[in-house]
Amino acid sequence: MTVRTMHEIASLDRSRRTDSLGELAPRAAKTAWIVGGAGLALAVLSAVFFDDGWRHFNYSYLVNYAFYLSISLGALSFVALQHATRAGWSVTFRRLNEILAANMPLMAILFIPLALSLFLPAAAPYVWANPDLAEHSPLVQHKQPFLNVPFFLLRSAIYLGLWIWMARFFFTRSIRQDVSGDPELTVQMERFSGPIILLFALTTTFASFDWLMSVEPEWFSSIYGVYYYGGATVGGLAAAILAAMAAQRAGYAAQSITTEHYHDMGKLLFAFVVFWGYIAFSQYMLIWYANIPEETTWYLDRQSSAWLPASIALLLGHLFIPFLGMISREVKRRKVLLGFWCVWLLAFHWLDMFYLVMPSFASDRFPLGLIDLGLLVGLGGLYVGGLLRTAANVALVPTKDPRLPEALAFENL
Amino acid sequence: MADHASHNTPDSSETRVAAVLGRFDTAAGLKAAAEKVRDEGYRKWDSHSPFPVHGIERAMGIRPTILPLLVFGAGLTGAIVAMFLQWWTNAVDYPFLISGKPFFSVPANIPVAFELIILFSALTAFGGALILNQLPQFHHPVFASEAFRRATSDGFFISIEAGDPKFDERKTAAFLESIGAAVELCRVPAAKPAIPKAIPWAITFVAALALLPPLGVAWYRASVKREPRIHPLHDMAFQPKYKAQSENDRFADRRAMRPPVAGTIAQGGLMLDTALFQGKDSEGNYVADLPVPVEESVMLRGRERFNIYCAPCHGYSGGLPEGAAGDGDPRSWDGMVSIRASQRALTGDGTWTPPRALHSDYVQDQPDGKLFETITAGVNNQGVQSMPGYAKQISVEDRWAIILYLRAIGRSRNAAADDVPETQRTADTGGNR
Repeated sequence: MTVRTMHEIASLDRSRRTDSLGELAPRAAKTAWIVGGAGLALAVLSAVFFDDGWRHFNYSYLVNYAFYLSISLGALSFVALQHATRAGWSVTFRRLNEILAANMPLMAILFIPLALSLFLPAAAPYVWANPDLAEHSPLVQHKQPFLNVPFFLLRSAIYLGLWIWMARFFFTRSIRQDVSGDPELTVQMERFSGPIILLFALTTTFASFDWLMSVEPEWFSSIYGVYYYGGATVGGLAAAILAAMAAQRAGYAAQSITTEHYHDMGKLLFAFVVFWGYIAFSQYMLIWYANIPEETTWYLDRQSSAWLPASIALLLGHLFIPFLGMISREVKRRKVLLGFWCVWLLAFHWLDMFYLVMPSFASDRFPLGLIDLGLLVGLGGLYVGGLLRTAANVALVPTKDPRLPEALAFENL
Repeated sequence: MADHASHNTPDSSETRVAAVLGRFDTAAGLKAAAEKVRDEGYRKWDSHSPFPVHGIERAMGIRPTILPLLVFGAGLTGAIVAMFLQWWTNAVDYPFLISGKPFFSVPANIPVAFELIILFSALTAFGGALILNQLPQFHHPVFASEAFRRATSDGFFISIEAGDPKFDERKTAAFLESIGAAVELCRVPAAKPAIPKAIPWAITFVAALALLPPLGVAWYRASVKREPRIHPLHDMAFQPKYKAQSENDRFADRRAMRPPVAGTIAQGGLMLDTALFQGKDSEGNYVADLPVPVEESVMLRGRERFNIYCAPCHGYSGGLPEGAAGDGDPRSWDGMVSIRASQRALTGDGTWTPPRALHSDYVQDQPDGKLFETITAGVNNQGVQSMPGYAKQISVEDRWAIILYLRAIGRSRNAAADDVPETQRTADTGGNR
């Protein structure tokens, strides 16, 4: 392919409807918000009518919040990584990830109910915030200088603030480049990507400690943050691939995102499926081998009769089955098959979040119910609505990125 | 190598055309030409470029490689080999109990399996890529061309070798010219170059050398030697020091291990306080009171030590209710060793002397010093050691702390309704102990 034809394709895409979703976005966003509102209403009604409903609601809210947040975090780390490695192949996929990451302000707003739940000690997923319960646990008392409500809220604000800044940093510069085509913006993003990755690693680790691990305040695992990151990247990549497929179905970016890009995104997704398994097993084996009571309790809950099927489902559905299913080159190059595995992995990533949090709510049963469904749809509607609003006026491919021709000409060997 | 080969052949002047080389100016030109060569039906040909050209393998009509399948198979083999190796060594050939883990358990074996999967896959990928590409290849006809050196800077080449069934010196050259190439014929000496004699000799020598270590191992394993073994590291095998129980001529008694100077005592070994260390006063009578302070911290320490060392037999509550001892029903026992042992004793499997109930008058009426002696030395009834001594496991202070906790057990197990403070009495505590 000559250099001239690459530019031809780029301009062809520009002249078609690549630029932005335009008027389609507000209509679609409205639908998403209506669906989301219905889901939330279902969850709230169930919480009112069911026994122990509000406690279930709070735990389930955390599950779904962690799920949607992980998609934005996975996308954010993807963008930073592409700049850090000066990747050319991924340029056509970068804008979709920038949009996913730019949903971070919405995630900050959605954090408010979690913050409020701290002041309802009886129903909060954070038992350490409940002075009556903390009184009986010397370990929780020992952790009080770190695990207390004001410091927790301060840290949460720092995480969310930094993520919003990172996401906006990449998003605004990338958008500006669509107009100016200034390669200096790319240089700037590359220069900042290293420190941003460092900050991202620290904030993601501590946020997962604070928001997810502290649900079980006596238990600890130093690899927990990496575990959450592994799952988040699986979620982010799967969501980005599905977003690209949805956009192409609607006629956008039809020629700029090719089989080659899907293939490489599929490879990355496959790699992170294995990475997740590697980290999950690293955590499991150390705790299993050392067999120390205060560490094994976490797995004991998850291997008891009620939760054992979920643990095995994760092992198979989050690792072995997608490993064998996605290992072939052909699978990653066929949209239908790749799309199937993305949906599959998102489902199991959600189960993973459920598995992290819900045994603390009910260790003697698998508490899947209407509330969880309502919140999954509810937060999902808000999340998709936010995405569509961000995407309304921006091109779905960074049209003037200096590496776009490289991405368009890219072929897998 | 081309030069090397020509030196070894006797009639180096005679040459033949081994390949036709065509040069193109651009990568796009090379790709377009490759498609035409492919469509013409040539099989033994290759394209050469200074950098990877995207899509060239499709233009050349190269079939997908089977290497991924080989690597997958190697990975599976690695997993199976690792599992078998660990099962055989740990569970069958040399079972060794490590911290109560099963001899064969999957979680413990995953890391080795993981490593072997990677090792086998990586070696297969590396070796497979070499073999499938027929590498290393020491010579190629295109090396005869001076112009071919541009393949590493700005030249894009297609070479068609004489071994191709469709190859015809003139027609092939004309064909390449017709698709826009600058054509050159690659001439090599007509006679097949002989392999230098040194190479087979060198291979034989290295193979023989490689046999020496296994032969040496086999020889030493099979034979009996009268001479001392060879010590490659002499100063590590023979160190200038005296070992335990050996002789040293420097001293009159010729003992290398020296007894302490008469009248010396090791630090902390004086133990003059007989009440603390023996539970007896200077006249040899058991002390009635604890020689340690009676504080809540000591009580908590005593409970902790008691639950670790005493509760397995005596039970957390100190034993059976009064009068229930010896009825032989294991379920009435508290303390897992007692439960298990009396279960086995019921079926005539082993003997078991049930431990004393610690809240019984028999124990509680003993002075503190006597209890201390029992914990220290154990209980020996007519030659039967029914309770071992715990001097090794439990420090002196902790033994006294346990005795304090024993008194608390006695008090609580023998409590009456009057012991409950008036303000806290309820219907539940009213009539019960």
